[in-house]
Amino acid sequence: MFLLRLALASLNNRRFTALLTVFAIALSVCLLLAVERVRSEARASFASTISGTDLVVGARSGSVNLLLYSVFRIGNATNNIRWESFERFAEHPRVSWAIPISLGDSYRGYRVMGTSDAYFEHYRYGRKQPLQLAEGRAFAKDPFEVVLGAEVAEALRHKLDDQLVLAHGVATVSLVRHDDKPFRVVGILKRTGTPVDRTLHISLAGMEALHVDWQNGMPARGEARIDAEQARQLDLQPQQITAFLLGLNNRIATFTLQREINQHRGEPLLAILPGVALQELWSLMGTAEKALFVVSLFVVLTGLIGMLTAILTSLNERRREMAILRSVGARPWHIAGLLVLEAFSLALAGVLLGLALLYVAIAIAQGPLQSHYGLYLPMALPSAYEWMLLGSILLAGLVIGCVPAWRAYRQSLADGLSIRL
Amino acid sequence: MPHLLLTILLALALALPAYAEVRELQWSDLVPPGAPPPPPPMAIHDLSQLADALAAEAGPGAAQQSPAEPVVEALDGVQVKLPGYIVPLDMSEEGRVIEFLLVPYFGACIHVPPPPSNQIVHATSELGVKVEQLYQPFWIEGPLRVEHSSSELAEAGYRMDAQKIYFYELD
Repeated sequence: MFLLRLALASLNNRRFTALLTVFAIALSVCLLLAVERVRSEARASFASTISGTDLVVGARSGSVNLLLYSVFRIGNATNNIRWESFERFAEHPRVSWAIPISLGDSYRGYRVMGTSDAYFEHYRYGRKQPLQLAEGRAFAKDPFEVVLGAEVAEALRHKLDDQLVLAHGVATVSLVRHDDKPFRVVGILKRTGTPVDRTLHISLAGMEALHVDWQNGMPARGEARIDAEQARQLDLQPQQITAFLLGLNNRIATFTLQREINQHRGEPLLAILPGVALQELWSLMGTAEKALFVVSLFVVLTGLIGMLTAILTSLNERRREMAILRSVGARPWHIAGLLVLEAFSLALAGVLLGLALLYVAIAIAQGPLQSHYGLYLPMALPSAYEWMLLGSILLAGLVIGCVPAWRAYRQSLADGLSIRL
Repeated sequence: MPHLLLTILLALALALPAYAEVRELQWSDLVPPGAPPPPPPMAIHDLSQLADALAAEAGPGAAQQSPAEPVVEALDGVQVKLPGYIVPLDMSEEGRVIEFLLVPYFGACIHVPPPPSNQIVHATSELGVKVEQLYQPFWIEGPLRVEHSSSELAEAGYRMDAQKIYFYELD
């Protein structure tokens, strides 16, 4: 115990260097933990976005691509698919439910999704949790009704009965807007922690009504314009949708139906198992994750080597200190223990400060990360894996402390009291 | 000197109106007002119906395997272990696969029809399993349940509540 007191007192004597060393270690620990946490939370949020859906069907492209645009609202569809194709598989005897999805428009950077009542009834996230309304109701007969995700409502401060004007395309600042057909907010969903929070949901009829008077890729002019009231009178049966989600009566039939959809003669379709596509996505991202992890490991190593350098340089200046200690009866292993303890305290202080830094950073970045990237970083205690990382850093600190300890041990034997001052 | 000043002023006076006359355009201004309305758009995927029309000529498609293959009733309730590849269906928040199909060979072979229903085990696991690579085979162990096809829709097949899942290793 007295050794620890001595080590701390000695460190206190050189507090500026010691503080810098601790800070370097703290920064590297913070970086390592942040990388680990972002990685695991990103995976968790991807994994909990879709549940209970057996097949995702869209125009033929790639499985990861289809999963990203239809479920995560990342990227864009390559093509739409015919309504008849949807009807055909929605009524398939092996299919228990089907959710149509129509994408392409946005509202201030948030995606607009056309869908049907089946979405609120059958879509599941997390551990098969259904969507719930925080306020209001799902959209009904009127095509110009919209249900907001929690994040959209909160960020843009929308309440029930507000009027919104949706925009064409998916840019944050949009120049072409559907301003003749405003939508009314009829419902706001509870927070789910998934891309649903950042989506505006309208009916397929609403999606159709928005584009009913578009001709040749631009809004109609003059006489040809159809306003909201006229649009309500029209037949708004959609001709095409972007993708659809299927739930089956029996999951064993998944492969059979997948093959049947992929070989559908009507038009080229692609059916994917969301779990498999997610796994493919992860093995893609895995390389980048590993690279990041290795980089942050090296940063930690640099921090520890910085500590080693600082202690080794100080050894020469501290010959007198060691000599005095020896003269008052300290044995060589006392000297060695002193230095190991010093290194350990530096590493421990670094780890603790690093943890504190991490939590400060999470507290600051939580809001922006959630609203910009949809990534929720909880203020949770370190996970078992993170504790293990921290433990290994402390252990590495101890091992590195042995190098100056060994040198001081040798020197203290050689120098003894015969040192020339 | 006064000449120079005058010239500069004159030049500025000439140049200024050019700057003042920046006209803000709307995209609709780029279309002449009297332009005839565009012809009605063609129906999407118009030719795609052709495949349906030709289907009769082309003969039957690739044969689909029967969805309700016979199952071995004697295996119902037996504690078994079976090696296979995991096709993830549902995952927990931590990314562990909690519901999956166990199949005898790793997917992606599209030359032959997918495995028939008696070659698939629909398994659930409370704890879940971390699947890093889809082509890693696993042993799963637990009581096997045989489901009967009581109607046209419900399909026969094997189910398992996997109690133990571990790597399959070649020895």
